[in-house]
Amino acid sequence: MRRVAVTPVRVAGAALIAIASAMAISAAVALADGGGGFGGLFWSAIITAFVGAGLFFGSGVSPSSDSALAFASVAWSWLAVSVAGAMPFLLTGVIPWARFDDALFESVSGFTCTGSTILSDFGSIPQGVLFFRSMIQWFGGMGLIVLAVAVLPALGIGGLELIASEAPGPTVDRLSLRVRDTARRLWLLYGGVTLLIAVALSAVGMSIYDAVSHAFTTVATGGYSPYGDSISHFDSFAVEVVLILGMLYCGANFSTHWHAVTGGIGAYRRVSEIRWYLWLIFSAFGLLIWVNAGELGWLQNIRESLFYAVSLGTSTGFGTSDYIAWMPAAQVILLVLMVVGGMSGSTAGGMKVLRLQVVFRYAFRELVRARHPRAVVPIRLGQTTIEEQVAAKVVGFVLLYLGLIVAGGVVLTGLGVDPVTGFSGAISALGNAGPALGDAGPTNNFLVFPRAGRTVLMALMVFGRLEVFPAMLMLVAATRGVAQARRRRRLGHAALKE
Amino acid sequence: MTPRPPLRAPVPGVAHRFTAKLLSWSGTFIQALSRGKIESAVGVTIGAVWVLSAPLFLICSLADFLDGGSDYLALFITGAAVEVAGLLVVRISRFPSSLPISRLFTAVVCGAAAALVAVTAAHLATGVTNQLDVALVEAAATITGTNASTINPEMLSLGMLLFRAFGQWLSAAAIIIVLVRVLPHLGVGGLDADGGVATRSARRLAPRSGSTMARLVTLYVALTGLLAIAFLLAGMPFVDSVVHSLTTISSGGFSTRLGSIGSFNSGPIEWVAIFGMFVAGISLPLIFRAMRRGDLHRFVRSVEFRVYLGLIAIVTLAVLAWSDGLPTATTIRYATFFAVSSISTTGHLAGDLASVSFGGEALLLVLMVVGGMSASVAGGFKVMRFMVLGQYIGRELRRSVHPTAVEKIHLGRSSIGETALARIIGELFLATMLLVPTVLVFSADGLDIEGAFTFAVSVMSNVGVAFGDFGPQGHLQAVGPIGHLSAALLMVIGRISVTPVLVALGAVGEPAQSALRRWRMTKREVVVR
Repeated sequence: MRRVAVTPVRVAGAALIAIASAMAISAAVALADGGGGFGGLFWSAIITAFVGAGLFFGSGVSPSSDSALAFASVAWSWLAVSVAGAMPFLLTGVIPWARFDDALFESVSGFTCTGSTILSDFGSIPQGVLFFRSMIQWFGGMGLIVLAVAVLPALGIGGLELIASEAPGPTVDRLSLRVRDTARRLWLLYGGVTLLIAVALSAVGMSIYDAVSHAFTTVATGGYSPYGDSISHFDSFAVEVVLILGMLYCGANFSTHWHAVTGGIGAYRRVSEIRWYLWLIFSAFGLLIWVNAGELGWLQNIRESLFYAVSLGTSTGFGTSDYIAWMPAAQVILLVLMVVGGMSGSTAGGMKVLRLQVVFRYAFRELVRARHPRAVVPIRLGQTTIEEQVAAKVVGFVLLYLGLIVAGGVVLTGLGVDPVTGFSGAISALGNAGPALGDAGPTNNFLVFPRAGRTVLMALMVFGRLEVFPAMLMLVAATRGVAQARRRRRLGHAALKE
Repeated sequence: MTPRPPLRAPVPGVAHRFTAKLLSWSGTFIQALSRGKIESAVGVTIGAVWVLSAPLFLICSLADFLDGGSDYLALFITGAAVEVAGLLVVRISRFPSSLPISRLFTAVVCGAAAALVAVTAAHLATGVTNQLDVALVEAAATITGTNASTINPEMLSLGMLLFRAFGQWLSAAAIIIVLVRVLPHLGVGGLDADGGVATRSARRLAPRSGSTMARLVTLYVALTGLLAIAFLLAGMPFVDSVVHSLTTISSGGFSTRLGSIGSFNSGPIEWVAIFGMFVAGISLPLIFRAMRRGDLHRFVRSVEFRVYLGLIAIVTLAVLAWSDGLPTATTIRYATFFAVSSISTTGHLAGDLASVSFGGEALLLVLMVVGGMSASVAGGFKVMRFMVLGQYIGRELRRSVHPTAVEKIHLGRSSIGETALARIIGELFLATMLLVPTVLVFSADGLDIEGAFTFAVSVMSNVGVAFGDFGPQGHLQAVGPIGHLSAALLMVIGRISVTPVLVALGAVGEPAQSALRRWRMTKREVVVR
């Protein structure tokens, strides 16, 4: 068989195979539960595995490799996976075929760990499908390509670039000399934490099914829950405490976690980002308590404020109550948390605390330079100094991020959504948080957005999860590929003529 | 760049000569006075602001007296007090022989603060309001050219009306002077007329900054006069024409009536206002060059102008497209009015702003943030800075594919230095960082989320009109004293950019900083030992 040397196709194939396994597991859950949905999940698994294997084995790796190619691989594989992830919803009949874009929305929202949903009647949905929904968040959290690099023997493209372009954050830590080892360690830790949370959740009284589903979405900071009323379904303080700890842990950098696990707790002290991260969440918590003081009872205030500060500060999006009823100021605080998000290298979304730090330092440096125009001031984060090139990239990212929020908000309001819902929806989608403000609060679903608006939100989610640049460069790489093919053909023609 | 041809002789004309004389005379006057003992640029600036602004009080007092109003005495006494205080301050201070940049920043900020104090005093003395916070925010709106007010202008005496309008007009004129004289030394990226990111439209007009200044101020005065005549011809009463021409060309936005321009219910008046606001958002040096040689093609050649015009056109079309019903002459006029009023940060009102669709609202807000062209009297972040930011993003995108590429950012035919670039970005981040707490304060102080956000943005861009449940102008009334104070602060910061204000504040805390540094050093030394 002749192999086409196109790296993105091969990577996409690998990712599809991973998702097929998720579908198979969910089918097994559906079978055990007996609530239906087995057939749909099973056939989706077969189709996906078939297509994935075809793509994977039918293609090879391009001889040349650069960052554009890595970006393109990641972006295209995410596209493929999102489409595949929509299949179970359609084949099981949870979402009718006429609303195929809604199935895609649910799938994209899952893989990007956003957690915005368009489902409403959770009671009638087969448990297997809900499990699948939680599971795609779990896969999306650490990244399918990281998984593929870790597990599949012959993906063939090495280099940190591929992982770096999928993992959240401006830089990726090399945990080991070999990329595959790095990926393995990340996934090992990820799996371990999931197990731990699942055990803790079942210890505080959840059923095993609930515990596993919620562990999946907690560790991925996704926010899907098999219940329409999310965490308030359990109405248990113990459950909330476990989830809060889990979210806090998973909103922090996994590489640091690995260092801490292997080398002792001192690893956290070396990272300045973690101080900012905790400081941000807990100052938001303090502000929320202060703003909500007159509105809620003392205990309820502390409980809900802490839960939402952590839930939105890590871009998870679990809900315990309706914060839309809170004071406007409290909602503004939540919105700020949604924009910033968790730490870099974590499963959380948002702009990332590290970038906020860089931006702060950058702006502060300009102040110093305004006074001392000839001063040379490096940008320091704790003990480390950030290179100018990296700082410029971070700044470019933040500008683009803000620009996308504005653009998304303008388009959504242009489609007739009210400004608060529109802009907070754009922020929530781009930050992969889940719930928004206005009509799209934690107790509502995203059907309040018009159909075209949901497509915009989907695009924003992917942009946010893939950290904007890969998604944008996917298009660049695609056009470049076409141009190259054309040039080659033209050269071929010229050679023939001679 | 090719060397520029020598400039022609200054424009002849009585007005120009008069302005030049007036400007140089006031400069000499202040210099002659400031022979005191204390070497302080801050003192000289504060004194100069007071000494030179006091005549305004007296003129308005006179107008009020002739009109038979009730405020002439209060205005006269405040004016006299301001004059005396100014003379005193100038007399005891002296212009320093050397001026570090941080002092210059402090001087600019203190100049604004001095103007704020004088105008606040006038508001309190005339009894327009008896609350300090309201007087302060009214004064801030006056000196920054923001159309946010809690006062019904129809209740004001002629003296106060003129005072507030002239206040907006004069502070915009002062901005021109700062633009030419001070900003080139400060290098607040993208704002200055000839430093930093100079493009061809905003480069100095004459070899000496003094004559550049005189030319721009003359142009400004001439435009005001023309606009007043146009308003008169369009059927506006005399006093209203004067007030509106002053507040339109300065992108201020105060009006004589509660309903702003819209209350005249006249198409021609609104078109004149649209034109006036449009002009207020254009770079003054660009207008000057185009007018002097009669070369209108200069406008077309300016990239920034094309973007400015394009933004207005796009938003006007979008507002029309997203509204109900087919466009009529009236809706087209209103849509244009909204767009121009937003981008020039004037804040005049006509038609029903609340009837604009959500999408149009969002776009108008974006226009408010963008603001006018650089080197114009309009507020906002300035078109050119956003163009630079757009190019920067594009460069970073390209760089992530070609990590070693070296690329310069170009705007039209001139390239932009990395320092200026960093300044612009730093300024944007600082502004955003200030905006977030203000939104929080506004929302905690009684506004809804939409109102708090749009009002904060609008105030920072010196527009004043916002969206939400409180109608276009009800926001300032809805917030309490803390909201008033933060609005006043944000207006001033928005007008003179964040960097100067923060640097000036930093200079105030300089002794504390150095003490801290010394303490730290000693501590480290102990550790080393």
